[in-house]
Amino acid sequence: MNLKYARSGWKLIIASLLTLSTLVGCSAPVAKGVFIEGDVTGGEAETLNWILAADASSFGYVGYTLESLATYDNQFNIQMRCLARDIEVSSDGLVYTVTLRNDLKWSDDSQVTADDYVYTLKNLMFSDWLNYNYRDDWKEEVNGQKVFVTPSVINNTTFTITRQTVDPEFIYTLYDLIPYPKYISSKYEGNVAAFTQAKEFNELSYTGNLGPYKFKEWLRNDKFVVERNPDFFLGKESGAPFFSEYVIKMFGTSAVMQGALEAGDITYCGIEPPNVPKFKKLDRINVYTVPTRGYNLISYNQRANGWEGLRKKEVRQAVSMAIDKDTIVQKMYLGFAEPAFSFIPSSSPWYSEENVVKFGVAPLTGKQKAMEQLKAAGYDYTNNGDRTVLMDKNGKPVKLILVTTPGSDIVESMSLLIKQELSDIGIEVEVKMVQWPTLLRQYMMNKAPGSDEEPRYNNGPQAVSEEPWDLALMGHNTDPLAPSGSSVFFASDGGLNSFGFFNNEIDALFKKVKSRAALDRDDRKTIYIELARVMSEEQPVDFIVFTRANRGFQKNVKGIEPGINMGYNYYLWRFE
Amino acid sequence: MRNYIIKRLFYSVIIAWGILTVTFVLLRIGPTSPVDRYILNIAAKGQNVESVKQAIEARYGLDKPLIEQYFTYLGNLLQGNWGWSFSTSMPVLELIGSHWIYSFQLILLATIFAIVLGISIGMLSAVKQNTKFDYAASIFSFIGISIPGFWLGLMLILVFAVQLGIFKTYYDTNYPIWSLENLKQLILPVMALGIGELAGYVRYTRSAMLDNLRKEFVTTARAKGLSERTVIGKHVFRNAILPLVTIIMFDLGSIVFGGAYLTEIVFGIPGLGQVSFNAIFANDYAVVVAITLIGTFLVLLLNLGTDVVYTYLDPRIRYD
Repeated sequence: MNLKYARSGWKLIIASLLTLSTLVGCSAPVAKGVFIEGDVTGGEAETLNWILAADASSFGYVGYTLESLATYDNQFNIQMRCLARDIEVSSDGLVYTVTLRNDLKWSDDSQVTADDYVYTLKNLMFSDWLNYNYRDDWKEEVNGQKVFVTPSVINNTTFTITRQTVDPEFIYTLYDLIPYPKYISSKYEGNVAAFTQAKEFNELSYTGNLGPYKFKEWLRNDKFVVERNPDFFLGKESGAPFFSEYVIKMFGTSAVMQGALEAGDITYCGIEPPNVPKFKKLDRINVYTVPTRGYNLISYNQRANGWEGLRKKEVRQAVSMAIDKDTIVQKMYLGFAEPAFSFIPSSSPWYSEENVVKFGVAPLTGKQKAMEQLKAAGYDYTNNGDRTVLMDKNGKPVKLILVTTPGSDIVESMSLLIKQELSDIGIEVEVKMVQWPTLLRQYMMNKAPGSDEEPRYNNGPQAVSEEPWDLALMGHNTDPLAPSGSSVFFASDGGLNSFGFFNNEIDALFKKVKSRAALDRDDRKTIYIELARVMSEEQPVDFIVFTRANRGFQKNVKGIEPGINMGYNYYLWRFE
Repeated sequence: MRNYIIKRLFYSVIIAWGILTVTFVLLRIGPTSPVDRYILNIAAKGQNVESVKQAIEARYGLDKPLIEQYFTYLGNLLQGNWGWSFSTSMPVLELIGSHWIYSFQLILLATIFAIVLGISIGMLSAVKQNTKFDYAASIFSFIGISIPGFWLGLMLILVFAVQLGIFKTYYDTNYPIWSLENLKQLILPVMALGIGELAGYVRYTRSAMLDNLRKEFVTTARAKGLSERTVIGKHVFRNAILPLVTIIMFDLGSIVFGGAYLTEIVFGIPGLGQVSFNAIFANDYAVVVAITLIGTFLVLLLNLGTDVVYTYLDPRIRYD
């Protein structure tokens, strides 16, 4: 063997090894650093025992340690988590077959099985003793009765859910499913107090390899801390997650929270519209503007204690025309919003502009057009000094009450803008700022006058609220994947249809979109297009804007994909 | 004296029970429900709001008659069970146990800061009446009294944390309570909470000192040839401190009952102020009643403490 060649051969091997190790280092980031997310105190979770939770934050906290069956990316493509393959739906739309990964483990190293999921559904979520808050998600209406769907174990990793009626959007509920360990839960079965206070559930000590992080500490009103889970089932090859700890730090005010981001004391937080330009100028901060699920609307009270004009479509349209949405987008949200015309946002796969009637933007906006439409609807104007005043059917000036909640600068400014814009078309508006519980009890809840019935948010067409009102400025959320959930507001029997909008065409469309007729995606889209058209024309409410959020990150955070579901791959985020 | 203290403690228990009962009833007869803040969330998910409300209220025993809830609560309290906080999912006692120290250290340090500096500046101001120091102290105290603690806290954070980077923008619970880092991060909150009190004490002390400086016993003491230090420290200050004790104890009571809350909010200190505020908004009755009860006892004890301190400061006072 030639020594010269042998030496150079060794050099080559060493060089190759060095190169390889560098490459490996590049492709598999090392877990380091603490990611600190800022949040304001109102966003604090209520419990880690998620089945008892009513708030979204609790599910969010648990989600760091426990993956659901699947989630979605920013384009709403399915990203499988605990699923081995996507859920199979039978051709008749009634049987859902769920196949789990076989490497999911609880903390005692036992396998997470289909039995755990079916147990969670049957014995916990469907039980009367525990009263799961969202159990209606798992019910269907059969012969006028609400009954639960039927889960069944097929084998260790497979279970089915059988329905008696078709609901094409049921699959989204199924994707969100997370399990409780049967071996722990069964100890507490039937005893709600013991279940509520069970340490295993309140400290998430059972989560095994099911999430990228493991629970570490939760100091209420201060911080929620999870630490890297080295056994995370999705991190086997990539080494994810890449933060040693993930902290949610609560702040009393958003001003201090944003100050903390600016000072580099936290890694990420939301930024309010007025502060966005300042943060965009900072070298070490990246600001991402993304769509949200939130929108603002003005409810038109069509019940007997609201102005009778609002019961007419033409009047509602006229009022919506007087309120300029582009002004609200630019002046109130500084461009971080887009006009809304129904409850389906442009980020939704079911969104289409086809046939949507766009009140509040050009050409269907303007005081003159609104006034002409009001005149056409049978209302007269009179001159009172230098003001033009709209008269009601009894010859009295129209005075409306706009009710909203205090605490948000944008909402307060918007109320004043609406007051001004309606004043320009001869309608006087009194703005009432009331606290949220008061708004609910005195303005939203209703019952038939003189009846003994319990006040509810929709007690039928005869019901009225305790206090009279005409317009209510509120914020709502929608589900871009399954917007039909908004039937709770807009269907005649909707549990939160507090403003008394009753329309057979809308009811039929909501029913249709949750039926066999919508099983095919194209057919479903056609139904949603029609629903958006009718809603935009009927104007049961004035859909004002869909808001956009601004997320500020320290620039050394990599792996972020900005979008409506930008957290979908958070376990791959890392510091560089 | 012992009998007096025992009697006052007995009265304190009666008063605390009365306040507990009133708080308990007022909270529950109100129209609000713990479910209120989740209604849109529940509704947006297509749930029946009424049935969810009933389910949650039943889970925590809120559907039972008020009188039954009251006696169950009292029974549990007597056995040391302060109830379950449903807005934080933990026993109330554990919740208070993990947060009181943050309020306590803030209130204690802010009070010491205000008393020591406030009384010292006030004394000097009186002794050096109508000098530049006196004018400066007066201007400072007027500003201190006028500035809202909430605004001052935000400004301190903006200048010393965001702009200068000397302090962290928020209170970090990772530092041990007994550490220098913890003491350092309390500097801004203590200033924000204490400056208003400090400014008040400057004015009270100056005024009380000036009142006493004009009295005849001071002239007598000076005529006896006592040093100015002894005259001021032993004779004038001792007489001036009596009304100050009442004011300090009253201020301490106010801080305990909410004064520290805004400072906790601004600096992100997870003290009892924040806990009680959030509990009120969550309609978490057990927590609100418990913190009210503890606050009541503290104020009653402070009052008792004031009376006892009086007897030491002024031997003429007797409670027999």
